[in-house]
Amino acid sequence: MTLAEFIATAMVALRRNVLRSVLTTLGIIIGVGSVIVMSAIGSGASKQIDAQIASLGTNQLTIFPGSMNVGGRQGGAGSAPPLTEKDLRAIRENVTGIDAAAGNMNSGATVVVGNVNWVTQINGSSAEVQTVRDWPLKSGRFYDALEASSGRKLAVLGSTVARELFGEADPLGTMVRINNVPFQVIGVLSEKGQAGGRDQDDVVILPLSTARSRLMGRVRVPDEIGQILVKVDDRYELSEVQADIERVLRQRRRIAPNATDNFMVRNFAEFLATRNATTRTLGLLLASTAAISLIVGGIGIMNIMLVSVTERTREIGLRMAIGASGSDILGQFLTEAVLLCMAGGFLGLVLGAGIAIVISTLFAWPVYISPGVVLMAIMASASVGVIFGFVPARRASQLNPIEALRYE
Amino acid sequence: MTAAGIASPVPVVAARNLCKTYQLGEQSVHALREVSFDIQRGEFVAIMGPSGSGKSTLMNMIGALDVPSSGQLLIDGTDIGTLDRDQLAALRNHTIGFVFQQFNLLARTSALDNVKLPLTYSRPRRADATDIARSCLEKVGLGARMDHVPSQLSGGQQQRVAIARALVNSPSIILADEPTGALDSATSLEILQLFESLNAQGMTVIMVTHELDVASHARRLLRVKDGRLVEDRAVTGALTEHQS
Repeated sequence: MTLAEFIATAMVALRRNVLRSVLTTLGIIIGVGSVIVMSAIGSGASKQIDAQIASLGTNQLTIFPGSMNVGGRQGGAGSAPPLTEKDLRAIRENVTGIDAAAGNMNSGATVVVGNVNWVTQINGSSAEVQTVRDWPLKSGRFYDALEASSGRKLAVLGSTVARELFGEADPLGTMVRINNVPFQVIGVLSEKGQAGGRDQDDVVILPLSTARSRLMGRVRVPDEIGQILVKVDDRYELSEVQADIERVLRQRRRIAPNATDNFMVRNFAEFLATRNATTRTLGLLLASTAAISLIVGGIGIMNIMLVSVTERTREIGLRMAIGASGSDILGQFLTEAVLLCMAGGFLGLVLGAGIAIVISTLFAWPVYISPGVVLMAIMASASVGVIFGFVPARRASQLNPIEALRYE
Repeated sequence: MTAAGIASPVPVVAARNLCKTYQLGEQSVHALREVSFDIQRGEFVAIMGPSGSGKSTLMNMIGALDVPSSGQLLIDGTDIGTLDRDQLAALRNHTIGFVFQQFNLLARTSALDNVKLPLTYSRPRRADATDIARSCLEKVGLGARMDHVPSQLSGGQQQRVAIARALVNSPSIILADEPTGALDSATSLEILQLFESLNAQGMTVIMVTHELDVASHARRLLRVKDGRLVEDRAVTGALTEHQS
């Protein structure tokens, strides 16, 4: 028999008892369906995390002043000498593989326009920060390096701040007062969304020198920088550039070869590692759930196929009498089991996708059904058909045609 | 069927000291003992015998469903004792056309698809399977009912479909097991006349029955009793209890 004939024969047999066929595959349907739902929610969540990590910048390094050990007493974070413009320049000039490097200082401040005010975060940043953080503008422009160093009072608003202060109005060109210092709004940033539980758009970016002299209060050294943000050129290894930065800073800050760094370089690879571990655990959980439900479903299939072989003993006898070989009969019942399982897998897929969509609309959770999971669900249910259909099919193929024909 | 009617040197069925012994626990049951006969191409043979006589065993072997314990059974010159399961299946497919008492048609399957069934197991595959099945259904007078499923057909019509199915592979032998056992006498007569006409066209027909008036449609009678062939004679006219 050809595959098409096997399938046609199996369809006739399965249609003979639709209710039973559906009930038989229920185990597979529920198993595949639940796996699809879980994986849709799981990969939706991890996709969201991926997007957040990407919005933070995966090729970005952040340098903080570290803690300092004074006479055996370890100071807290920031107790070490601050980073300065000279450190920034040294990194720019001596480290290869840097796309852009920006100084940054953070502070909280109240921004006032007319009778509206909003407490937000102030980022005093060099002009390069836009490149480093890969942050396009929604409208207006960013200040350039000259404006940043000449103390101009310009402000670029995060989208949340712009919305809170101006609503639908266009903020460009308006004067805003930040801790009572007037600044001119020259640009509004595009939305970046949430990351790490913080609204990244709730921010105002100002030229670093202006922010330092007008808003940051007391600084320890005149050219202090809170952090240095570095964007690594894609063609270079992140870890190598990081090592290079550490070498340059140790040299500039005169740290003895066996002393510990008094600064820290952080990258997002650590975030990624945590995420990967979470994904692996989730994947393992999914795989075991899928395996258990498919085994349970498979046993259901095997049971009903054994019943079917017994019920159709005469038919098997007839087919053998008119010339069906053992492999013809084996193929016929295996096809039936595989078809049953694949239909169950497909129904489970539809059911799971439907539930995932309902969940995503009801709870606003991100869901994502990956093609890989779909393919795996179909393949797994087909394998269940082969594995659990084999015993009944083999039993059918080994029947004695004389006894089978006489079977009542 | 092309060679039918021409006296062939190779008998279509040849039994040589055929024995079949079943083991029932400690006991050996001799279903057939030293049975020998030849059936030539184009014969119409009735095999008779009471139940337990061994006629079913004999029929199973002629149908290549069973193999002898000793002795030989040759179908078209092939010793079935030398064949494995799959070779026996292929031999049945090409050489034997089975007709059963209970018709054994596939339910919910059209007459045409039922008739085509043996061709789906044939190797090499026939591209013209549907045409062959159609012409076989026409031959048994069911040309107008090809799309009917068995439940829409009368018993006689179902048996005609079964006969068309038996003919579809142009077998050497039509082997009918009590073909009229489930039919009323008028319908039985029609079916027997169909066998006669097929035989007249050259088809070898072997029919197992326990009814004399059914057997009297054959042209040769083999009678089996206690595992032995007790009678082998030509049939002329109606058989009566006295004659047997």
